[in-house]
Amino acid sequence: MIKLSFAHIGWFILLILLQGLVFNHLHFMGYATPMPYVFFLIILPTTTKRWVYIVLGFAMGLVIDLFSSTPGMTAASLCLTGLAIPPLLKPFLPNDHEDNETLTPSARSMEWGPFVRFAFLATLINTVCYFLLEAFSFFNWQHLLISISSSTFISLLFIISIEVIRSTKKK
Amino acid sequence: MGIGQTPMPNFSETPPAKRHTPHMQDLLEFIKRYSYLLVFIALEAVSLTLLFRFNSYHGSVWFTAANNTVAIIEKAEADVETFIKLRQVNKRLTEENYVLQRQNQLLRSQIEKNLQSSTPIDSNQTEALNGYNHIEAEVVTNTNNPQRNNYIVINKGSIDGIKPEMGVVGNGGVVGIVYLANTRHSLVIPVVNRKSSISCRVRGQRYFGYLGWDGGSRVHAHVDDIPRYAKIKVGEVVETSGYSGIFPPGIFVGRIREIKNAPDGQSFRLEVDLGTDFANLRDVLVITSDYKPELDSLNSQAAANENTTTGN
Repeated sequence: MIKLSFAHIGWFILLILLQGLVFNHLHFMGYATPMPYVFFLIILPTTTKRWVYIVLGFAMGLVIDLFSSTPGMTAASLCLTGLAIPPLLKPFLPNDHEDNETLTPSARSMEWGPFVRFAFLATLINTVCYFLLEAFSFFNWQHLLISISSSTFISLLFIISIEVIRSTKKK
Repeated sequence: MGIGQTPMPNFSETPPAKRHTPHMQDLLEFIKRYSYLLVFIALEAVSLTLLFRFNSYHGSVWFTAANNTVAIIEKAEADVETFIKLRQVNKRLTEENYVLQRQNQLLRSQIEKNLQSSTPIDSNQTEALNGYNHIEAEVVTNTNNPQRNNYIVINKGSIDGIKPEMGVVGNGGVVGIVYLANTRHSLVIPVVNRKSSISCRVRGQRYFGYLGWDGGSRVHAHVDDIPRYAKIKVGEVVETSGYSGIFPPGIFVGRIREIKNAPDGQSFRLEVDLGTDFANLRDVLVITSDYKPELDSLNSQAAANENTTTGN
């Protein structure tokens, strides 16, 4: 449990640094910005309390906001994602999973299919929320739609890459 | 002492003061279960505050939207307030309306009064009234009898200075002559009375005659004794001559409607449309003359002289 927590703290710092130093400066074709930091919330153990998700999401968002000088934007979207993740996770858990059982979501523990789908939904919620907050209007909705879809795609791509690296490392 | 000691055991038996009622427990349970929602709301509020506070774009959007919302709410509030106040406003308006109507009525009556004292006498007549005074009066009785003689009673009498043989004029011109003066009322023989005979002339000419009435309509009268060589046209104005001293000269009587031969064949008879509307007569002026007594005394002297000469 403690070891797991240390791993999470490591992911927390690593993802923030990646986001703040690298990904925030990437704008593929002016639209897509990778936001793989949702990965941190995705791999929290299933027994985590819901408010912990929310608080961690908020804290992470706040730090990322400091890097990208967009106070509140990432915090708000990641807060909402933290609220949404636990109920999202439930249908993708393996059939033999018990409620009290602690499970750390990963490609190995959940199989690739459910994990990717779960990750996609979580990323989608985060990006939709983020870009809605950023645009703060539906005036340029085409631009908004392209940003959301491309960013979701790229973020998901990075999450999968991270997960691949993680799973191969653990083998 | 004894009184103080007896209730002591009862206190120990009372249940512990701090125990949640079932409802309270439900509430606490609810809060515990959904505490994450409270956390979420609080943190979202914090992030949104940061968002609007430190991002100029979001801040301006938020500010504008908030302004608009506040404006809408304030407008709604103002509307409601106006609506509620409508009753009050309505009441005030009714009151104001009433006051204004009263004022209007007052002013109108004032104007009417002023006009009544001036209209019957147009500029010409006002001039003619120099040396004459008048007493305002109101018609009390006014008969309309085409066959018999008409009489008018006015509400001023000898106490007001009215004497027989004073002229009476109204809105449209000559009305008649006072016949009898009681203390407070007077009887007037109007133009539309067979006994009436008022000295008249055609305006701009010296020829004079006597205004008489033969019954029938109260709109028409006639002037007799106009010499046949007088050049008179239909439509010319007939006015008082002032010879008798009853009326000042130049008071409007009517307009010539037709020029006929008099029954005696020696003179013209002028059919006159009377200026006074006897069917609608209320306010009149009784004319008092300073010359009247002089003229009367001269006339009576002349008559006396005639009598003495005939007697001689």
